[in-house]
Amino acid sequence: MTTQPILRVDHLKAHFRSSYFGVYREVPAVDDISFDVAPNEIFGLAGESSSGKTTLMKTIAGLIAPPLELIGGKAQFSFMPPETNLYGADPAQLARIRWSKLSYIMQGSMNVLNPLRQIRSIFRDFAAVHIGGSNSDFETKTVNHLSRLRLDPSVLDAYPHELSGGMRQRVTIALATICRPDFIIADEPTTALDVIVQKEVLGMIRSIQREMGSSVLFVTHDMGVHAALTDKLGIMYAGCLVEAGRTADIFNAPQHPYTRHLIHSLPRIGDTVQRTGLTGTPPNLANPPSGCRFHPRCPLASDICRTERPMMRQIATEHRVACHAVAGDDA
Amino acid sequence: MTALLTLNNVSKSFTRGGILSRHRIEAVKNVSFTLENNRPEIFAIIGESGSGKTTLARMILGMQEVSGGSLTLEGNRVGGRTRKERLAFMAKVQPIFQNPFEAFNPLKKIDYYLLLTAMRFGGAVDVAEAEAAADVALRQVGLSLSEIRGRFPHEMSGGQLQRVAIARALVSKPRLIIADEPVSMVDASLRMAIVNLFGELRDKLGLSIIYITHDLATAYYIADRLIIMQKGEVVEAGAAREVLSDPQHPYSRQLRDAVLSPQVTGSLSIQ
Repeated sequence: MTTQPILRVDHLKAHFRSSYFGVYREVPAVDDISFDVAPNEIFGLAGESSSGKTTLMKTIAGLIAPPLELIGGKAQFSFMPPETNLYGADPAQLARIRWSKLSYIMQGSMNVLNPLRQIRSIFRDFAAVHIGGSNSDFETKTVNHLSRLRLDPSVLDAYPHELSGGMRQRVTIALATICRPDFIIADEPTTALDVIVQKEVLGMIRSIQREMGSSVLFVTHDMGVHAALTDKLGIMYAGCLVEAGRTADIFNAPQHPYTRHLIHSLPRIGDTVQRTGLTGTPPNLANPPSGCRFHPRCPLASDICRTERPMMRQIATEHRVACHAVAGDDA
Repeated sequence: MTALLTLNNVSKSFTRGGILSRHRIEAVKNVSFTLENNRPEIFAIIGESGSGKTTLARMILGMQEVSGGSLTLEGNRVGGRTRKERLAFMAKVQPIFQNPFEAFNPLKKIDYYLLLTAMRFGGAVDVAEAEAAADVALRQVGLSLSEIRGRFPHEMSGGQLQRVAIARALVSKPRLIIADEPVSMVDASLRMAIVNLFGELRDKLGLSIIYITHDLATAYYIADRLIIMQKGEVVEAGAAREVLSDPQHPYSRQLRDAVLSPQVTGSLSIQ
C-alpha cells in the first residue's frame, strides 16, 4: 500500500484472565489479529456473538481493564507518536486525543446520553473543550452540525427520553462527529433500530464520513449492512480474524469455509433457494479447539487443521485468508 | 374447513396518565385474520417496533385481554375462563420468545422446564412418562434428553437453547406456536437451521406457526402468508412471496426498500 494506514493492528492479543479459588481461566478473546485501516475508509468487522468483536474494539481503543489483559502486539494510530499504544498512554495525552481524533458511536444510545442532562449540555460536556471559542460560537457550530444530520435545533432543549430511538442515535452520531475526528469506532450503531430508520442512519454515517474523510471501524453482525456500507471487511470467528479483504471481493468470492457459509446462508427477497444452517455450535473460547478453531464445523477439515493453526495468507490483492484448505502464497 | 384461530376486529388500547393527563393508546386496531385447522402454515406478522406485533401475540396467548373484537381458538374464547379451561388452552397454544437466555431461569436446569411442561400440559403422570415425552420433543428439534440432562442455560449456545425452547413448546403437542422474533438473538451461522426447523415442524407435525419478525428476508424465505402492521393497523396482507415481491401499500414499499440485501451493488448502495 502506498498510503500510510491510519490504524495498524499488529498481532494484537488480549486475553481475559481470571483466577478464583485456585481455578485459573484464560479466555483468548482477541488472538493474534492483524489488519490495517487506510484513511477515508470504512472497515467492517463481522462475526457472531462472542467472536471477540467488542473485545477487539476495546483493545484498540485502549479500554483495557481487568480481567482483560493485553498479552502482545499493538494497535498503532498514525496520529499517535510512534511506538505508543493508547493503552498506558498518559492521561493528559489521552484527553487531547479522545473525541478530537478518535471517537465512538455506541450501540445503546439510551445508555450513552445522560438522562438528566439536556442534549445541549451533553454536547457542551463532550465537545466544548476540544472546539473552544465562546459559548455562542459553539452553539452555532452545534446547530450547523445537527442540521447535517437533519436534526432540528430544538433537539438541543430536549432530554434524551423525549427523542425517538432513531433521533437519539443521530444525536450520538452528531456527538461523535462534531469534532471532525480522524477515526471513528462504531460498535453496532444501528442494531437496535428499525430497518427504515437504520437505512437512514447508515446513509448519514456514510455521507458524513465521506465529507470529513475520516476512517470508520464499523462493527456489526448484519451482513446486509456490511454489503451496503463498508469498503473493506474482516470476518472474525472465535477470537481470530479468518478473512479480510475488500467487501466486494468477500461477498463475490468468499474463500474461508466459514465466510462462504455465512454469505451463502443469507436469505434474499426474490430468491427461494433452500438455505442451510451450519452444523455444530460456536466454540467455547475458554476451551478453544486445537489447530484451526473452525475445524469441528468445517466441511473441508483435514488432519493439519486439527493440529496446526492456519496463518493469515495473501491470496489476492488485499485479500487475506487464514485456512489450510485455501491455496495461496505465504504473506 | 374449521378455523383454528379466528381474529375478528381485535383491538387493544391502553390508557396512560392520571386524571388530567389521561390518554388512550391504540396499540392494536381492528385486526382480523383466520388460521385454518387442516391447513398448517407459517403466518408472519411484520412491522417496526411499536407497531403492535407483540401486543397482538400476547393477546393470542391469552396473556392480555382484548379491548374490542373477538379472538377465538377452535371456537372457544382465548385464554379460557376456569383454570381447567386455561390449562387446556395453554396446551394448545405455546410461545417461543426472542431471547432464550431470558426465557430460562439461569438457576434452574433446563430439563426441569421440559419435564414440568410434560407433567402439566402433556398429560404425563409420572417422571418416566414425562422424560419420554421430553425426549420425543427434543428429537424433533435435533437434540436428545441425554444431551441436555442436568445442564444449565449458560452451558448451551444461543442456537441450542432456542432449540430447547422450541422443544419445550412441542412437549404439550400444541396446535399453534407463537414465535416472537425467534431468530433475532441467534447467531448468523445457526439462524437458518432454526428457520428451517419451523418449516419442518409445519410440514411434518402439521403445526401452525405465527412468526413475528422484522426480518423481511426470512419471512420471504419461510412464511406462507403474512400481514404487515403499522401503528397497530394491518396495512397489507396476503401470500408472503406475492406481497414482498410486489408490495402495494406505501409503508410496505418503504419497508421492503429499506432491506439491505447482502449483495454488493457498487460502493454507494446507501445514499
